[in-house]
Amino acid sequence: MTTSSTDDVRPAPTPVNETDALAPEPDRPGAVSWPAVAAALAVVLALAYLTKYLDKNVPEWLADTSLARIAKSVEYPVYAIAIGLLGNLVLTATGVRDRLASAFRTEFFIKTGLVLLGVSINLSLLVTAAGPAIVQALLLISGVFLFAWWIGGRLGLDDRLRALLASAVSICGVSAAIAAAGAVRARREQLAYAASLVILFALPSIFLLPWLADVLGLGDAVAGAWIGGNIDTTAAVTAAGALAGEDALRIATIVKVTQNALIGVVAVALTAYFAYRVERRTDAARPRPVELWHRFPKFVLGFVAASIIGTVYANSVPAAENTATQAVAANFRTWFLILAFVSIGLEFRLTALREAGWRPIAVFASATVANILLALALAAVLFRGFTV
Amino acid sequence: MSDETPTPAPPPGRAAWISEDWAATVVGLVLLVLILTGVVSKGVLQ
Repeated sequence: MTTSSTDDVRPAPTPVNETDALAPEPDRPGAVSWPAVAAALAVVLALAYLTKYLDKNVPEWLADTSLARIAKSVEYPVYAIAIGLLGNLVLTATGVRDRLASAFRTEFFIKTGLVLLGVSINLSLLVTAAGPAIVQALLLISGVFLFAWWIGGRLGLDDRLRALLASAVSICGVSAAIAAAGAVRARREQLAYAASLVILFALPSIFLLPWLADVLGLGDAVAGAWIGGNIDTTAAVTAAGALAGEDALRIATIVKVTQNALIGVVAVALTAYFAYRVERRTDAARPRPVELWHRFPKFVLGFVAASIIGTVYANSVPAAENTATQAVAANFRTWFLILAFVSIGLEFRLTALREAGWRPIAVFASATVANILLALALAAVLFRGFTV
Repeated sequence: MSDETPTPAPPPGRAAWISEDWAATVVGLVLLVLILTGVVSKGVLQ
């Protein structure tokens, strides 16, 4: 983790933060073209609606075929990304993609979705019933993050990409990568690449891990903890947990939610590390403490606030009312995540993958294997004899 | 290790950079309040 002395003569990369990450490259400094924004929003919303339509109807269409189980297991992120990629191809071929890119607000959509996710996290439940999940999350995130960071360094990856990949593989996929990107000011191409890898590895895991849990004869609690600790995206965890069984799904969800809750901790740690160590120039003054605040992903505050509000609400209304309200919130969250995944597909640039080369894939694959093994060991120890 | 550690130049339009995070927070929390108070009900966005 050294700082290159050549950075003085290099242009600063495009920071991948909020608007910067999503603004179209060619006309960023110019005025906003509202007709283009409106048209782009219409495209994103139409593709999101198509995603929702397919997610709802494909399982019914294939119910009596040999693909029924697969169709039932495939969740909306798969449709959203595939549709976004197809839209990307069409818009690129017609030469209008860059003009419409201003509305492909992946970060805004997913951060809003994560704030809404916060309401489903009951803090008291995490503290009282999910002790093993918290211990596992802390050990797993620390172990896998440090391993991914280390191997990324061995393979000579850029520190920002290392941070993104390590966060993504150790915490909760794309959302963690976005939080890390905000903290370390990664480039948008790096975020797109990390997001692509997350999706690439998450999809087979949905089917592979439940199958392996069955082969290994794991109990429901251990299988759930293993799945929840391994798969990066929350949606994919839900899908895999459901395949492993209801009890496994409950534990998988608790473990995953616990990891989600730790996004902020890692973001703060990365913010501090990059501000004080990685970006510190020999001729520069020591970064002011306020820099920590500037780089802290503010949506984490909304996430925590929503969790507190949700906990208070759950304790003050009847259970049935809380369940109904949570369902409405989950529906909104799903829509925002669909918009985010569609935007990821629309923003995807093959050039970023070509430029990144094989090393990030090797890092991510190695870290995933380490994650599988460490999570299995932790789940077997912490959840042995645990009853759901 | 690091093959690129660029100068932390202030991002262009820093105010806008910060505001998107806050925008997600505000939109998310406002939606949440609307949901919890029953203004937005189950039929919306199904």
